[in-house]
Amino acid sequence: MEFFSTPLLVTVILGAVGLAIPIIDALKKERGDNNRLYCGISVVAIILVIGIIIFRILFGESIPTIEFGKSMLADDMFGSFFAITLLIVSIMVTASSWDYMKNKTNPAAYYSLILLSSIGMILIAYSTDLVMLLVAWELMSIPTYALAAFSKRDPISNEAAIKYFLFGALSSAILVLAIGLVYGVTGTTNIGEAIVSMVNVQKDLIPVTLLALALFIAGFGFKMGLVPFHMWLPDAYEGAPTTIGALLAAGTKKAGFAAAIRVIVLATFVLHLDWATALAVIAVFTMTLGNLGALVQKSVPRILAYSSIAQAGYIMIGLALAPYSDQALGGSLFHIINHAVMKSAAFIAVAAVAITLASYSIEKYRGLAKRMPLTAIALSISLLALAGVPPLNGFWSKLVLFNAAIVTGPEIWWGPYLAIAGVLNSALSLGYYAWIMRKMYMEESPDTTKVKEPRAILAVLIFSVIFMVGFGIWHAPILDFATNSVPNLSQLTAVLPSFPTR
Amino acid sequence: MNQLIDFVLVTVVLFSIGIYGLVVKRNAIRMIFSIEIIANAANLNLIAFSRHVHNVEGQVFALFSIAIAAAEVAVALGIIIIAYRLYKEIDVHEFRSLKG
Repeated sequence: MEFFSTPLLVTVILGAVGLAIPIIDALKKERGDNNRLYCGISVVAIILVIGIIIFRILFGESIPTIEFGKSMLADDMFGSFFAITLLIVSIMVTASSWDYMKNKTNPAAYYSLILLSSIGMILIAYSTDLVMLLVAWELMSIPTYALAAFSKRDPISNEAAIKYFLFGALSSAILVLAIGLVYGVTGTTNIGEAIVSMVNVQKDLIPVTLLALALFIAGFGFKMGLVPFHMWLPDAYEGAPTTIGALLAAGTKKAGFAAAIRVIVLATFVLHLDWATALAVIAVFTMTLGNLGALVQKSVPRILAYSSIAQAGYIMIGLALAPYSDQALGGSLFHIINHAVMKSAAFIAVAAVAITLASYSIEKYRGLAKRMPLTAIALSISLLALAGVPPLNGFWSKLVLFNAAIVTGPEIWWGPYLAIAGVLNSALSLGYYAWIMRKMYMEESPDTTKVKEPRAILAVLIFSVIFMVGFGIWHAPILDFATNSVPNLSQLTAVLPSFPTR
Repeated sequence: MNQLIDFVLVTVVLFSIGIYGLVVKRNAIRMIFSIEIIANAANLNLIAFSRHVHNVEGQVFALFSIAIAAAEVAVALGIIIIAYRLYKEIDVHEFRSLKG
């Protein structure tokens, strides 16, 4: 790896700014509302980093996606794709905190933690070594525990943080155990070398590798919100400050998928393909339980949290079908970037309502179209995009995913059933999305005074609406970017003698 | 007590103790201890395997993992101190305003 690689530049710039903000805060003489200063610094730093990544992609400095890197980090397209996705999320979160953190304590620590957590998320996507993966995983997780507990006087925020911490720490302990087993069997922590030597593993060690894979699914599954490991998720997303809810739902969850694609999907090739069936079962349960859970909720962030469980199920379709279809992982990546924007837009719109009306309850959303017209429109568009209504971007990524599931029919019998489950679940999900919109547009609120909408949040929402509608009408560039970033699985044949024939 | 299997057995026992503690205990600090026991079981596993396969990567990784676990516990204790200020209690049964 060259010295000036993208992950290094990202780490240095974001890390320097993230550490500089608390230092500036300590050195500043006059106390006062420094929120805007730190917000501005963070936004500029993130824009700079996005610019650097795009520049390096355009000038061919980032190599095409590689499955197995020799060193700790690989400066490839897969990592750059996730880096751009996650930085879009963190820029939306930081920019909307301009309003959300107004008159709140410790803005310096807040922005610094968001930047440090973003470094962790990005390094996960670039890492090709399990040691780097775990360190990046923890760099992502530990700041978010503190951020979830950020409203110190709010018992709800604290409760959410305790639940989030207990499950998050358990998931990282499980990951260490899984990495230990892989290391014990193969003698290396490099993902590529470990997977290649798993092919030739002794017969009596195969159960150990399978146990390691199960532990990996559990460890990553806690962050991704897959169904047997999802119980902490609605509590954490609802209780945490709403902008942090956006960071958790759109950021850390996507980083979990990056890790899963780097490790689990490649490992399923080597071990038995039955594991793809297990992932498919998890996918169906995840989307169904997520949608059913969302139907009975009374609080809007909680509905969004359950809906993010369901969306994780759709993304899992692509991961489960990766051994059978070329399009499936591309569809997953496409849905990942779309879901990141849609979900953070929805959470940020909820944050705007939380600032002005000080409530999360769905009853407060009655007549919101009259009180906060722009926020209501942005929230409706992001909910429609989440439900997959054409011509918004969520429709196209679901179309690619479900199409991939249908065309695998001749190769794997359960492929088309995943598409059926996905379509039925999208219809089900429209139930609660439409319910929120009905409250906003059809019902009258007792108080119809117009409320001033926070301006920075409006800017973020306008950006995301442009993203959702624009890339809904013209989806080709993002789809191409996603397809180019997929690991080329058919080239694995050269490396792996026992690669299953298509 | 020098075979790999002995260390792995100890690991399994520690892991089971950790899971038992996490499921049964209701005191937040005890639950953190249980998670720490699981993490240490994983570290022991790594070191035993490192000795078995004769390279140091596993031990280096165990050092990383110990440092990270320390940072994690520091954040957790901070959160629990705030919880104690708010609730005058660190029994997780009391933390149930979020549900559904």
